[in-house]
Amino acid sequence: MKSVVFLHYFLGFILLVSHLNSVSSWKKEEFRNCNQTPFCKRARSRKPQHCKLIATDVIIGDGDLTAKLITPKEFQENPDEDSSGIASNPLILSLSVYENGILRMKIDEDASRNPPKKRFEVPDVILPEFESKKLWLQRYTKQVIDGDSADSFVVYLFDGYEAVLRSDPLEVFVREQSSGKRVLSFNSHGLFDFEQLRVKKEGDDWEERFRSHTDSRPYGPQSISFDMSFYGADFVYGIPEHATSLSLKPTKGPGIEESEPYRLFNLDVFEYLHESPFGLYGSIPFMLSHGRTRGTSGFFWLNAAEMQIDVLGSGWDAESSIMLPSDQNRIDTLWMSEAGIVDTFFFIGPKPKDVVKQYASVTGTSAMPQLFATGYHQCRWNYRDEEDVKNVDSKFDEYDIPYDVLWLDIEHTDGKRYFTWDKALFPNPEEMQKDLASRGRRMVTIVDPHIKRDENYHIHKEASKNGYYVKDASGKDYDGWCWPGSSSYIDMVNPDIRSWWADKFAYTQYVGSTPSLYIWNDMNEPSVFNGPERYGTVWTGDNTATWEQLRVSVPMILTLGLTGITFSGADVGGFFGNPDSELLVRWYQVAAYMPFFRGHAHHDTKRREPWLFGEHNTKLMRDAIRVRYTLLPYFYTLFREANVSGVPVTRPMWMEFPDDEATFNNDEAFMVGNGLLVQGVYTEHAKDVTVYLPKDHTWYDLRSGTAYKGGKTQKIEAADAIPVFQRSGTIIPRKDRFRRSTVQMENDPYTLVIAVDSSGEAEGELYIDDGKSYEFNKGAYIHRRFVFSNGTLTSVNLAAGTQFLSDCTIERIILLGHLSKPKSARIEPSNHAAEVELGPLQIQSKIRSSVLTIRKPNVRVSDDWTIKLL
Amino acid sequence: MKIHTSIVAFFVLSSTLVLRSAAFPSNYLLGVAPEDEIYYKGLWSSGTIKCKDGSKTFTKAQLNDDFCDCFDGTDEPGTSACPAGKFYCRNAGHSPVSIFSSRINDGICDCCDGSDEYDGKNKCKITCWEAGKMVRDRLMKEIATFQEGVGIRAHEVEEAKISAAKDEAELSRLKNEEKILKEIVEKLKERKEQIEKAVEKERIQKEQEEKQKKEAEESESKEHKDEDKVDVPEQEPAENTDDDKAGILDNPPPGQNLKEDPAEPAVEVVHNAYASLDIGEENAAQEEEGSKVAHASDPSTGLGSKGEDATKDIDSLSREELGREIGSRWSGKNHEQQHNDFDDVKNNDETSVNAHDEENDGYDTETDEYHHQHYEEDDTEDQMGDVGDEANDDSSSSYKYEPDDEVDMSDIESTSSPSWFETIQRIVRNFLQAVNPFQTPVDTSEVENVRKEYDEASGKLSKTRSRISRLKKKLGNDFGPEKEFYSLYGQCFESKQNKYVYKVCPFKEATQEEGYSRTLLGQWEKFEESYSVMLFSNGDKCWNGPDRSLKVKLQCGLKVQVADVDEPSRCEYEAMLTAPALCLKGKLKELEDELRALNKEQPQLRDEL
Repeated sequence: MKSVVFLHYFLGFILLVSHLNSVSSWKKEEFRNCNQTPFCKRARSRKPQHCKLIATDVIIGDGDLTAKLITPKEFQENPDEDSSGIASNPLILSLSVYENGILRMKIDEDASRNPPKKRFEVPDVILPEFESKKLWLQRYTKQVIDGDSADSFVVYLFDGYEAVLRSDPLEVFVREQSSGKRVLSFNSHGLFDFEQLRVKKEGDDWEERFRSHTDSRPYGPQSISFDMSFYGADFVYGIPEHATSLSLKPTKGPGIEESEPYRLFNLDVFEYLHESPFGLYGSIPFMLSHGRTRGTSGFFWLNAAEMQIDVLGSGWDAESSIMLPSDQNRIDTLWMSEAGIVDTFFFIGPKPKDVVKQYASVTGTSAMPQLFATGYHQCRWNYRDEEDVKNVDSKFDEYDIPYDVLWLDIEHTDGKRYFTWDKALFPNPEEMQKDLASRGRRMVTIVDPHIKRDENYHIHKEASKNGYYVKDASGKDYDGWCWPGSSSYIDMVNPDIRSWWADKFAYTQYVGSTPSLYIWNDMNEPSVFNGPERYGTVWTGDNTATWEQLRVSVPMILTLGLTGITFSGADVGGFFGNPDSELLVRWYQVAAYMPFFRGHAHHDTKRREPWLFGEHNTKLMRDAIRVRYTLLPYFYTLFREANVSGVPVTRPMWMEFPDDEATFNNDEAFMVGNGLLVQGVYTEHAKDVTVYLPKDHTWYDLRSGTAYKGGKTQKIEAADAIPVFQRSGTIIPRKDRFRRSTVQMENDPYTLVIAVDSSGEAEGELYIDDGKSYEFNKGAYIHRRFVFSNGTLTSVNLAAGTQFLSDCTIERIILLGHLSKPKSARIEPSNHAAEVELGPLQIQSKIRSSVLTIRKPNVRVSDDWTIKLL
Repeated sequence: MKIHTSIVAFFVLSSTLVLRSAAFPSNYLLGVAPEDEIYYKGLWSSGTIKCKDGSKTFTKAQLNDDFCDCFDGTDEPGTSACPAGKFYCRNAGHSPVSIFSSRINDGICDCCDGSDEYDGKNKCKITCWEAGKMVRDRLMKEIATFQEGVGIRAHEVEEAKISAAKDEAELSRLKNEEKILKEIVEKLKERKEQIEKAVEKERIQKEQEEKQKKEAEESESKEHKDEDKVDVPEQEPAENTDDDKAGILDNPPPGQNLKEDPAEPAVEVVHNAYASLDIGEENAAQEEEGSKVAHASDPSTGLGSKGEDATKDIDSLSREELGREIGSRWSGKNHEQQHNDFDDVKNNDETSVNAHDEENDGYDTETDEYHHQHYEEDDTEDQMGDVGDEANDDSSSSYKYEPDDEVDMSDIESTSSPSWFETIQRIVRNFLQAVNPFQTPVDTSEVENVRKEYDEASGKLSKTRSRISRLKKKLGNDFGPEKEFYSLYGQCFESKQNKYVYKVCPFKEATQEEGYSRTLLGQWEKFEESYSVMLFSNGDKCWNGPDRSLKVKLQCGLKVQVADVDEPSRCEYEAMLTAPALCLKGKLKELEDELRALNKEQPQLRDEL
């Protein structure tokens, strides 16, 4: 079975504290700001040219270029105020080069000088196969830059790109070989600082306190900070998770209201705010830049400590004497981390998809989901008992609304003892799951990592007996407080304990589980860093039922997608609070195009299942969910693309239109794959909405078939549905028959929607596998490319030698933008004819569109064929 | 008609054929409901017909060809090609249904005759007979309940008419009383003020006179002082009121007092007038609650006539006597004596106690209920205890509550006897005539007497008014188109579920109780969905949530019972209440028709099988 793990960010201790204190939401004072964080405050107050390090002893060895970073004598004698007393052992810098334009730079303490402790390096994030992509450096060339007193060392990076180590002043950058134009640079403003570990002496007080927390810091402060510059950049993006705009607003600089830096610190935040640089559930220190002239670059710092990142507004360094090449747009950033080492990756791009692919080659691509997981999920804290489950399930059928998964939150357990059931509420869990499964539906139950300290609870008994719990400073089991009361935490860092924990999910051990039961791996904030996309899906946490939060969910999900976590979504309707019917409908309409599509609600909220808001609203929500189901073949194909390449399912527009500046900071519309543009409605009482359609393309409204010229902002009717456009030049596969769930859709025929471009051409892909197993890894899948050209549609096999059988046929082919009016089509090799007529674009749309339709070609999706319009 | 039958025959044939052969359907009218078949006949005559929504035409070849031509699914009644399509399963032996086209050949048997799964991938068992039997049995049970319920309902509607008429009558009588009492009070007030003015005037005059005749007339002023002394206890009337009333409630028959104290007959008359008033009020209060028990006798009548007899005596009294008598009611001495009398009666006078009991015989049960209501809190606990003893975890029960929020039995005073009014009116009229405020010197005892009478009468007035407002409040409720919910007024129905006791009091409130803690789930708001739902809203506020509310779904049942209390959303409760009021004739007919339709299909099924 394909692994489907749903990583949930639920309510944590923060919530608990809030509960006890007051009713109000996010409490600013409970979270540490930069000024209260010594390393951040220190780093932020440093002036350019603070760094006095220079590179010496530059050599090539083991395929890397290495150097020692030392502080010249004159500065050692007069050390800076804030670095007084700090050890000034040389640091070791190494540069490595990997396939496809990736430069890796590491800086750490010199192991040969026996530092008090090895600094922390994050395990498990980098793919094991990444090392095999390393290009062994053979040599460097020397160059003198800007009349430097010392040489700079230049190595090959990629066709047309080279990496440069400048010795004095210390700088590392990537540049285009021919033009010499810089792409990315490190320490160009001299803000690099590396606090080395120390041995505690009498009188050293390194303790740090915030509220009730104390950090003893036994090796002294050990933070690292540096500046990174992105060249040819109009905007920078990434570094989730924050509830902010897609393009990152500057946090510091002239004319910019002083703001907190973007914080990367995993927190389960109760009722988080939109438009805040505050750290949320996951932390991914990967930033992308994009500009019209240069294209896209990326930078990733593999460091899991608390991090703060400033995006510096232009002119921030006006007082410094540093002169960087100023003919290009440049965005400077300041990176500050509390600990760890410098282990960084420079991605050269130059196209947006190149960067995400380069990044994915380091940390991995997203797991291929089971087909059902791409459908609609219905969740609530909590569906109370078996009758409730049965009732909710039957209502979906009563209203003919498809859904695939029903979720049970923490209340289903026996007193929050995970892997158990409340016997009064769920006396027959297996029967309940089987009943759901008889209609093709699955169930998800929640498992949290805190274990109730109850001697009669088998998990606790085993864990405490075997010493599997995380220990506190005194060596005792850490005794925390969460939903079940007094709780301890499984030590997931230990592989043996991990394997023991994994066994708990076996059908034989998890009493009441069946093969249609899946797991919601809740409250795993500490584990959300780069790489979780390889295992599961995530979502944007405990949001709130407001229009602002609907709005911000779009950039949040796009950002997660850019940084590798494509299978994500926001709780439909907003977790806290009660959405009115209009907000809920709009939320469904947008969320239906998001990779992870789940309705969820807090237990204090009113019920909000789609049939509870009157006939009209039920219809609108049903339509939204159904559109998602018709597009599942397209989504599944995109998930496969993400699985192979790392290119996300939902994409910022600039990823598809990197030359169209109007798209660069547009985060209210987004692309699903390369073919669909989705514009949400984020305001009340909207009858229409304006949407920017990227230039050089024609856009077809998927409700009416109306064609719009790109390069303009259009006003589009949006009373009952949000506008979605198919881009000219694409072919999108659909399944237009409605079913209860994905399971019943398996044998249904396909519809292809062809939107031809100005030269009458289009192409698209379709990926099919069994939707449930890993057999696709052994070649059990179908992958076709459909090419339409010169009035002929051809199905090309992209997976020669693979074997997967499907009897599915294509029942309908729709042509948008085709100029002639053919009457029939000839199908080869079967040599039969199909009628061509005018038909609807959406079978159940209210808008009676009339588009060219090839009626019942009935060719099999797994076959090679051509269909020629006559 | 001929065509119609032949199509049916064709359909039956083809569907059985399909079931057996499991082939792709070549039959045209698969999935078409019998009443709809006529629509398709044009396909055979002209070759094309319109989609039902008029959007398009389609040919015979396009009917059920597994490709959607009509938006509304007209051309694909038997396939899943059109999302808007409906598929008709005949379900012989059970009831026919139209299912969503999304169910066709989806691997799940939706029709009990299996006709929705014909692609051969899924073999469905034909279960209509078994399923139909269950439905029929359930229907028959339901019909039986309805049949009986309809009768009970009719009876209740009749009863409600009577009760409502009684309440209306009571209300208009009370209004009338109110009017008169108001007049009396006004007159007394006027008189009181006149007298007070006169007294004041006299006092000033006296002061002046005293100034003038300071030394000479000492003995005269002494006489006055004596009179003042007599009046002293009158200045603390409040102290007496309660005891007085207690005495009044169980007042012995007038004759006895008259005998014991023949010198003061008028006092007793007045007393009796009030006494009868009190008893009458009790009756009225009970009637207001919808007592179904008929009164054995009208207690007020007897007392009223006694009062009438007494009035004759009043008429014959002289002005001075009358004033004195009324005044003496309030003298401490007299009260003490009265109290003693009362004790005597209570302890010794069997006859009088029996007489009282007899009068109340007709509503002894009601009196018990009364007691019950009066100590509502304690009783509730008892009930909870009782319920807890039962083996069943969930249970329901009912009892009556005091409809007025401020329950105070001693307050419920009025009369159901108009004769009392005549009496009191006459007394007051005489009294007013007798007391001449312009006479000097003013008799100070008269001042006090008037004041007392005024206080007493205005007390009565405000009580009458509160009774009126209570009745008005009751009658202002919407009891349903036939007042079929009338009898639920003043009643509560309980359901115990796990640790909670849910209490639903229609037209009042609903609560959830756990031990001593009581949560208001909602106050009565209204009926909804044509009297099939009771809504209680504005209950206690939820932390971080809405105000609590309860929706009670109503169903036909022979007894009034609450069940299935549920909280589908945080602090939004739902419950089920069965009541005969919901046993509607129309619904019964529907059920009977449904059963008849089901039974009709049976033999055919047998044939086919």
